[in-house]
Amino acid sequence: MAESAQATQKRQWGMVIDLDKCIGCQACVVACQSENNIPVNEEAHFNQRRAIQWIHIQRYWEGEWPHVKARFIPVLCQHCDNAPCEPVCPVYATYHNTEGLNVQVYNRCVGTRFCANNCPYVVRFFNFWEPAYPNSLKNQLNPDVTVRSRGIMEKCTFCVQRISRVRRQAKNDGTPIADGDRALNPACVNACPTDTLVFGDLEDPNSRVSKLRDKELVEGGRGYHLYEHLGTSPNVIYLKKVDKHAVEEPAHA
Amino acid sequence: MLQGDFQPKKPTRKQLIKLSIFGLIGLVPLTALVFFFMFLFSAWLGKPMAVFGYDEGPTQPIAFPHTRHVQELGLDCTFCHRNVTKGAAATIPPVGLCMTCHKVVGEGLPEVEKLQAIYDSGKPIDWVRVHRVPDHVHFNHQAHILFFSQRDAIAPSQVCATCHGDVGGMVKVKQARYLKMADCVNCHRDNGAPTDCVTCHY
Repeated sequence: MAESAQATQKRQWGMVIDLDKCIGCQACVVACQSENNIPVNEEAHFNQRRAIQWIHIQRYWEGEWPHVKARFIPVLCQHCDNAPCEPVCPVYATYHNTEGLNVQVYNRCVGTRFCANNCPYVVRFFNFWEPAYPNSLKNQLNPDVTVRSRGIMEKCTFCVQRISRVRRQAKNDGTPIADGDRALNPACVNACPTDTLVFGDLEDPNSRVSKLRDKELVEGGRGYHLYEHLGTSPNVIYLKKVDKHAVEEPAHA
Repeated sequence: MLQGDFQPKKPTRKQLIKLSIFGLIGLVPLTALVFFFMFLFSAWLGKPMAVFGYDEGPTQPIAFPHTRHVQELGLDCTFCHRNVTKGAAATIPPVGLCMTCHKVVGEGLPEVEKLQAIYDSGKPIDWVRVHRVPDHVHFNHQAHILFFSQRDAIAPSQVCATCHGDVGGMVKVKQARYLKMADCVNCHRDNGAPTDCVTCHY
């Protein structure tokens, strides 16, 4: 039966981020904020380091003036297979599901913040305030996503509401979930103008992400994980930026 | 009675009055406490206790008789709740759908006249919501209705009663099942549905 085959099909959602293409436009950040009902961050929130951004662009400057180059790294929850945030939760509010997602269960969370403190990527965010939206944005809240109240932790879900909607649709139609389906892709992937972010099933050998992983990471190319030495085995793969003008750093004496 | 036995003092008249006043004042918080716990438990169980008519459903702006439409006329649930096989919400029909029949049917009935007035004003009916799961629970009608109707080979409108009870026989619609998480999880387990948290909570 097609349904049972789909139910038992192993999945591992993952993402490939090609830093060679990222232009740091922040479209992914805006898309994520509006898809996932993230409250509007004000300047004071950033000053307190309490802003909520499930995906954020880290910016680095490289070189000396006048040869300065900006470098961008979009950072989101890495959905680690060996996640440091999971064992520290006293109430099992964060756990790994069968599809390789690191899931945050809002109604279980009691707000100890242990997970955020144990996360090396700093991609878990605590709701220090009740979520506030300007009046103009109140009617654009996504009904498929819970509005997180004060005192609980939240993080990137790989837009699990979209995944479950597509899965339901595929089950009703009896068709397999297509790789690169825009309804399946997280909001950040859909918003990216340069195709930097690629989302898909790492278990499926024909998907774009697993092909990129095989080419760039397994066979040895530009692929790497963030903080690889920590042994978290993330499901987000970064591809190094290629710069033909890059000057080899002089060896330190 | 022996000499030297303890003998409690007899209360004076003044003390008696004082005590009765204190007693009466004390009764007030006691009753309040009893009421508080009663409503607390009924809210927790999702099923109000059958006192003072609190087990009835809410009073709706129009006393819509499901009994007449379902039992006497034999309408399907899906005739009005049309989105139940297509989307997350079963949806309550727009006033226009009521008016397809009630332009000609039920002239002069007081509730139908209310409906006419609302239709003429161009506003929707402010129905009181009976079934509500918390914001962090995502229930999808389509998935449940299609699963049961395909597995048991029955019409979609015959599945509704599993959770909603016999709405066709209710004068005032009320919640028939607890619809707490244990209720959901038990049913998911019995029918082989996923019990992963992220199935409903996201």
